[in-house]
Amino acid sequence: MKKLDNILIIGIGNNTRQDDGLGWCFLDLLENEGFNKENLVYKYQLMVEDADLISNYEKVIFVDACKSKISNGFSITPLAPSKEVSFSTHAVPPNQILNLCENIYHKKPITSLLKIQGYYWNIEIGLSKLAKLNLKKAISYFIRQCEK
Amino acid sequence: MKPKKITIDPVTRVEGHGKVTIKIDENGKVSDAYLHVVEFRGFEKFIQGHPYWEVPIIVQRLCGICPVSHHLAAAKAIDQLVGIDPENLSPTATKLRKLLHYGQVFQSHALHFFYLASPDLLFGIDAPVEKRNIVAVATENRELAKKGILMRKFGQEIITSLSGKKIHGTLAVPGGVHKAFTPKQLEYFLDGKQIPNIDTMITWSQEVIEFIKSFHLDNSEWVDNFAAYPSNHLGLVDKISGALELYDGRIRSIDSKGNELLNIEDIEYRNHFKEGVEAWSYLKFPYMTKYGRENGWNRVGPLARLNTCSHIPTPLAEIERQQFKAYTKNKPNNMTMHTHWARLIELLHCAENMKELLLDEDIMGSDLVRKGIPRKRGIGVIEAPRGTLIHEYHIDDKGLITKCNLIVSTTFNNEAINQGVRSVSESVLNNKPEITEPMLNQIEMAIRAYDPCLSCATHALGQMPLIVQLEDNQGNLLDEKIR
Repeated sequence: MKKLDNILIIGIGNNTRQDDGLGWCFLDLLENEGFNKENLVYKYQLMVEDADLISNYEKVIFVDACKSKISNGFSITPLAPSKEVSFSTHAVPPNQILNLCENIYHKKPITSLLKIQGYYWNIEIGLSKLAKLNLKKAISYFIRQCEK
Repeated sequence: MKPKKITIDPVTRVEGHGKVTIKIDENGKVSDAYLHVVEFRGFEKFIQGHPYWEVPIIVQRLCGICPVSHHLAAAKAIDQLVGIDPENLSPTATKLRKLLHYGQVFQSHALHFFYLASPDLLFGIDAPVEKRNIVAVATENRELAKKGILMRKFGQEIITSLSGKKIHGTLAVPGGVHKAFTPKQLEYFLDGKQIPNIDTMITWSQEVIEFIKSFHLDNSEWVDNFAAYPSNHLGLVDKISGALELYDGRIRSIDSKGNELLNIEDIEYRNHFKEGVEAWSYLKFPYMTKYGRENGWNRVGPLARLNTCSHIPTPLAEIERQQFKAYTKNKPNNMTMHTHWARLIELLHCAENMKELLLDEDIMGSDLVRKGIPRKRGIGVIEAPRGTLIHEYHIDDKGLITKCNLIVSTTFNNEAINQGVRSVSESVLNNKPEITEPMLNQIEMAIRAYDPCLSCATHALGQMPLIVQLEDNQGNLLDEKIR
């Protein structure tokens, strides 16, 4: 068992909308690789109470599919809290969750956003070939970083 | 003055994509106003051809906020397809489904009050738009925000423990449930070690009722008069006592003065309701056939439920209901903003009910599923957080769905919300030379009081953004505000 210790990984998406399932597939692969599933959380979308969830961890990585082009198929970037407010509280972006976490719980987990490029978004289960390639690159990179 | 039309699109802090159009005549008076629902989904159609046992799992995809309500309404209907009426379900299955339902209503009411309504109440209608949100509530009222989050979490944990997931899990199967509660799960909700326990939920529910009562005392003129208008009220009541009932009961409607208009078995709904349509909205307009489209519409939801029930069968919520009713001298309450107060009384009722069920040994029983003589038609009616919810399914000899009809809470409230939009538009926009942000927010507040779920109501995929458009009497767009 490869323990993620105090790292939480949140996969965001919907596996019934083709490549929108990238975030969840990333978690599936981590579990297959032997990572402990207690620290892997599947989400359709983030909500306000996720500020409570992330306040319990030192590091948090959000993994989501991305529509725009990314040169290597994936990218990982540090997140900073945002004071902007989305119009709906039923889907809140990661940087706003981080802001809520700081405001309510006075905690500042180190947070990153892993974006994996997707291409197709229809009502269908299964990733496209190109999305699978990007997923493979992203997971290899992540595991290499963990081994370091 | 030139006639004009105002559009609010998207309507904010509601679930789903809505748009408001207000027409202003040449004298600067509101001549018409309505809420359009501009999403289309077609769930009733694409469920056809699926085997009946898939339905409680599929239809909960109608919504990410109240999937449990759709799961349970569908399950009640599907029970009938396998020959089981609500009274023939095992006590374990009934109690587990009820626990799931109270957990769902509890988390949904907590979400509405803390995330959607509290910014208006804490900061006022004139507060700048950047302040009217949960982030500002969290910044200025940290403890209130924390409690809101933990109350919602408690409800969601109940849902997770019973159905496996916070969203789109499964508990009900045709004729019962597929699993019982475990002692370990029970301990989690009672010992308060990992999350605040059920007694804390009851205490916090009482505290938040005290907050709304105090807010009402300080702002009674506004709270009593904002978007207030007479209407009929509809809700489920206990089949014998007439008490508040959220899971299974008779459908009762009263008029604005308290005269009973309808008191029927839930499965008879089709004989008593029709659905009107308008070209400008995908949302239908249900009404009681006997009273016609103009007089037969109802409000549903917390305010309607407290108006139609005889009492609340849990002691602390009943004390609060009596105070609530005393304010209108036991007459029906037609004050829209009192819906928030009613919702919090229900929050307490749900907490009390969850405690009672958690302490009931039946939830760990083993009699989970029952079967009877199969039928071809099933109708499930429950009280979802936002009001009465009806699912009806017909099947063929192979058990495939041939017909589906859904009337969801927000559809029932469609005319009531439109009345609210008209009432507030007239009071805040008549003879005003300029549209200001607080004016638009007041229109949204009239909609938000119903906590509408527009995605559910159109049975919708896609984004959920309020448009207000200002149009002349020829329909030409003169001004527009979009959020």
